[in-house]
Amino acid sequence: MIEKILSKDELSSWLKDLGKSFEVYGPVAQGDQHLFAPLSEYDPDFTFQNTRLSPKGLVQPASERMFHFSVDPENPEAHILKEEPPKTQSCIVAGIRPCDARAYDLARINFITSDYIDPFWKQGRDRLTLMGLGCNQPCSTCFCTSVGGGPFDTAGLDLLMTDVGEGYLIRSCNEKGEGLLQKAPGKTATEKEQKQADQIKREAEAAITAKISTENLKDQPLMDLFNAPFWDEVQFACINCGTCTFFCPTCWCFDIQDEVHGNEGIRMRNWDSCMFPLFTLHGTGHNPRAEKVQRVRQRFMHKMKYYVDKYGNGVACVGCGRCVQFCPVNIDIRRVAQLMNDYKA
Amino acid sequence: MSDPFEPKIIAFLCNWCSYGGADLAGVSRLQYPPNIRVVRIPCSGRLDPKFILASFRRGADGVWVSGCHPGDCHYIAGNYYARRKFALLKGLLEHMGIEPGRLHFSWVSSAEATKFQEVVTSVTTAVKALGPAKHYIKQMPEGA
Amino acid sequence: MVEYTKKIQETAKRLLTEKKVDAVIGYRRGTLPMMNEPVLIKEAEKTDQLYWDSFCGVNLANYLPKRKEKLAIVAKGCDSRNIIIDIQEGQIKREQLYIIGAPCTGMVDRRKVWTRLGGKEPFAVEESKDQIVATGNAFKETLALADLLQDNCLICQHRNPVLYDELIAEALPEQKEVDPYEDVRAVEAMDAEARWQYFEELTRTCIRCYACRNACPLCYCPTCFVDESKPQWLGKSLDPTDVRTFHFLRAFHCAGRCTDCGACERACPVGIKVRQFTKKLNRDVLDLYQFESGLVLEGRPPLDVYRPDDPENFIK
Repeated sequence: MIEKILSKDELSSWLKDLGKSFEVYGPVAQGDQHLFAPLSEYDPDFTFQNTRLSPKGLVQPASERMFHFSVDPENPEAHILKEEPPKTQSCIVAGIRPCDARAYDLARINFITSDYIDPFWKQGRDRLTLMGLGCNQPCSTCFCTSVGGGPFDTAGLDLLMTDVGEGYLIRSCNEKGEGLLQKAPGKTATEKEQKQADQIKREAEAAITAKISTENLKDQPLMDLFNAPFWDEVQFACINCGTCTFFCPTCWCFDIQDEVHGNEGIRMRNWDSCMFPLFTLHGTGHNPRAEKVQRVRQRFMHKMKYYVDKYGNGVACVGCGRCVQFCPVNIDIRRVAQLMNDYKA
Repeated sequence: MSDPFEPKIIAFLCNWCSYGGADLAGVSRLQYPPNIRVVRIPCSGRLDPKFILASFRRGADGVWVSGCHPGDCHYIAGNYYARRKFALLKGLLEHMGIEPGRLHFSWVSSAEATKFQEVVTSVTTAVKALGPAKHYIKQMPEGA
Repeated sequence: MVEYTKKIQETAKRLLTEKKVDAVIGYRRGTLPMMNEPVLIKEAEKTDQLYWDSFCGVNLANYLPKRKEKLAIVAKGCDSRNIIIDIQEGQIKREQLYIIGAPCTGMVDRRKVWTRLGGKEPFAVEESKDQIVATGNAFKETLALADLLQDNCLICQHRNPVLYDELIAEALPEQKEVDPYEDVRAVEAMDAEARWQYFEELTRTCIRCYACRNACPLCYCPTCFVDESKPQWLGKSLDPTDVRTFHFLRAFHCAGRCTDCGACERACPVGIKVRQFTKKLNRDVLDLYQFESGLVLEGRPPLDVYRPDDPENFIK
């Protein structure tokens, strides 16, 4: 592990330098929100609390081309699906929050299994180097510490930056990060600076007061939770929009669509949401989740029970708090988790 | 020298009047620009706004909707309801940046072959003057 | 308006105890500052959950369509107008409802609070009379409610419920001196290309979560046009033409029905001013047909009726 101190100017010149061999993404202010955008086009703003949309789109874009094809009867290769060229450009995501980085690890279990490797997700993820930025001031809705993460958690990261006021203390989290950091400008961090960073980390962890309880979830009988009476109350306010699922860094569901224009077509996949009735609509017209209560239950059961049981990897939530902040009707996953965790049939 | 611009205009014509007007214009050998592609609809009241959007989305340079004169609707009042819908629709489409002159409405009866000829001509002239449609054409999504 | 809370709780308790209604639809205090959650209360003992302040922007009429039981519902001016529309459109019966009217001084747009606080996150926001006090990490700021209201509340001309069984406070003077359509005229003054670009910029950040549609009490179709597949009217990606088609048609479905309650704009998680589409229609409906939606129970909505002499200067 190496630790270096870079002044803010040194960081920005380093990022520029990295831009010669990588596509560098960073948090960019747009209107009243931040989002991850290429720094070749925008200036980063590292003073954000959290980006409105998580960076999951860098690995699994909202709309992603998978194949293209021709429907031209004259074309001997008509109707043959051809893969889009692989994404090979290496990218650095500078300023990714530790929770969002961890979200990739939670989703990896779904996309990369012993039976099948999703090539699109894998390409998207493998090309990323994650240069995290610890959260000096977590939001009031952050609860990463109770779902296995933390404001300075290094689990999913290659590098971790700590804002120490006049600059950043950057720490390598693995060999990949170390290789990069060796070539970075700045000085090796002194013991005093390391201590300062540790102090910031401790303070941030202490500042996270929001919590969820998950310890009973794995032992709760699945059908008890499924049939629990509280879903009726939980679902009432829900308007079945896709805000929670689209904002969630760990929601990975997609819908495959073909579009044909003229003689050319593409097959793409788009983010989908279990909140939408179309999500489960069968070709027969039957819809196993026709009612709102079923859809709302699905979202929480998936995150807090099915995922827990299937992978033994904790809950499918990194505690970023986006769904809590932006649900238009204030359905709060912390409250629902509590109901599920405490439930006794 | 490049060919002069010949717009594609989708014409939604009511079966009971404007479509008959087109027929009469043809039988009477009246000359009019060949830029319209006719879609026969059972009544101007049947015209779903989505039809107009679909036309523009697929690259139509203009859309023209024509029905029976007020009071003459085969279904008594279809065109009266349509008129309110059209007024608001045209207003909102133009509000969001579709140029005035791309979307046209008219009342043409099955006896008005000459009016049919006049309206096709004026609609075509107006759309031609605007040039090819620039916006609201659905293309292959970029995706990532 | 926090003082309404007690009155709402009492009324709800009374209605449930006397079995006048089966349930009460209101708000309960949210789990984070500046948010309240719509709630259905069935038991008199639970009525103390009910809450009211200037963050009750969700339009509760959204929860009425197709309900079978007898309900009490807390209604601001706009909610009451949407209740009228629900009744007119056969989504609920007047006899099923006991409307608890809440004269409304306007709902706060929490984005305006965030802007005022310059990015500092409030951990608690308390309302008193005409101001709120926001406290956070080493700050405490007092802000006037009047500076924070939702854009639609600033131009609201129906702050008092228009249909109710009981008012929980004295009716308020209506805002007469407002110019509701200044922004519509500003867009109209642009040329076509500038208007196109204006809306292109407006919807650029749309993620098609459909929060605007689903927050809207007018949107209750069993299958929305965006979900239709035979034919599929628009694609499912974030292609700008598809995004534009969605916003256009969503607005057009509200033509002659929209009460400008602002629920759509409030719900948008990325801050798109979606009312810019509906307001144009509202203004045109008023100009052309002298109609404002949801003001009277009698009569039909403007696109369900006609006059032989309706304006038709746009028709050849």
